Amino acid sequence: MNAPPVPYPDEIRVHPGPALLAGIERGPSLTAHRQQYGDLAWVDVDTLLELVNGVALRGRGGAAFPFARKLETVAGRARRSRRPVVVVNLSEGESASSKDAALALTRPHLVLDGAVATARALGATEIHVVLPAERAFAGRRMREAVAERSGGPPLLLHTAEPRFVAGQSTAVIELISGRPNLPVTSWRPDAVSGLDGRPTLLSNGETWAHVGLLVLQGGASFRRLGNAAEPGTALLTVTGSHRLPHVHEVEYGARLRDVLPDDAAGAPALIGGFHGSWAAWPTVANARVSVPGMRLLGVPLGAGVVHAPGPSVCPLALSARIVAYLAGQSAGRCGPCLNGLPALSAAMDRVTNGHGGRARLEELAQLVVRRGACAHPDGTVRLVRSVFAALPGEVSAHAAGGCLRTPEGLAS
Amino acid sequence: MTRQLRVDWPACHGRGLCHELLPEIVELDEWGYPIVTGPVPDALRADAETAVSSCPRLALRLVKP
Repeated sequence: MNAPPVPYPDEIRVHPGPALLAGIERGPSLTAHRQQYGDLAWVDVDTLLELVNGVALRGRGGAAFPFARKLETVAGRARRSRRPVVVVNLSEGESASSKDAALALTRPHLVLDGAVATARALGATEIHVVLPAERAFAGRRMREAVAERSGGPPLLLHTAEPRFVAGQSTAVIELISGRPNLPVTSWRPDAVSGLDGRPTLLSNGETWAHVGLLVLQGGASFRRLGNAAEPGTALLTVTGSHRLPHVHEVEYGARLRDVLPDDAAGAPALIGGFHGSWAAWPTVANARVSVPGMRLLGVPLGAGVVHAPGPSVCPLALSARIVAYLAGQSAGRCGPCLNGLPALSAAMDRVTNGHGGRARLEELAQLVVRRGACAHPDGTVRLVRSVFAALPGEVSAHAAGGCLRTPEGLAS
Repeated sequence: MTRQLRVDWPACHGRGLCHELLPEIVELDEWGYPIVTGPVPDALRADAETAVSSCPRLALRLVKP
């Protein structure tokens, strides 16, 4: 397996924050958690829906899908057909994302409270918790947290495979079903028909932590942060020239640049991770943390991954390395991805090395996009296209055989 | 009601029968995998159903768009 361009961390710097990450210095134990928040109240589905609707809670896995809609679908199906299932997906297959690992380390019981309260409200009798393979330290902490709890629906632990696409929702459901941890075609949403055909409420760690906080503290304190259009906070994983990933909790509306390392200034940054988009420095400097706002800027926040490599790294060379990595991370089961991503990687190398081939790159992009069981080809294409959309000066320099960055940036 | 052909990508091995049976709306890419160019017109509905049932990998479905 090829090495990720941003390595999987063996340690994470988690900064205290205003909501999810408030009081983390007291440690991750259940005792400290209950001292801070009290016992978890039982809520019914209508109360839970009111809570999540009241703050317009969106999923934090990247697509920003309204959580209330998923919850409503699962609750509706559960009433009419089969007992639902709750899944906590902590498998963060992307090495540059560490927010769910940060929560597993510092706030495991907030994540579990969100899942437990929801499972009780839905009448779900099992909660599946999917741990990351390549971040054993976070998985261990979550196992300890699960062992501390008693009562509530059983928490069943699984470990995802160390693969970029292992965290895609259909791949996670395959893993829990006992099949290979790879994406499959989804004919109906998980909320309608997921694990064993049952209505399945699958969300990532951050989403569950917000649900937990809402049930423990109510909507009013949630709405005190952020702004009226987007209440609350979001977790960001910031990587760059510093050795460890930094996880920050920021209010919606906050300036993005305030959590970036000093040497990020003046250089492009990759927003949304390996499946994300490059932004030139002026865009980064003016961006405020917002789902619709950053979509408008053409740099969706995704799962909150910001990679700011600084001025000495060439964004084209780095993109070429990322595309090569992503090609190697294809599950290899969908023809267009299996064949198209290596071809896309070769074309990206040619463009980076000044050998032309930009037309071929776009031709390949059109051949792979939306032609797979998961978002892997689409995300790879988003990254490639963003290089040309956001960094025309860098692209021209390479077309002329040069580079705007130092020669080290070209070594790939 | 108009239907759309949808490919089950992990199941598809690019055998190309769908293109043989329904060249009007199924082209093949440079690796031999199907490119569905548009929705299934009523006149081609029966042919589309044949393509679905003839796929050796059972990798095609007619779905509501």
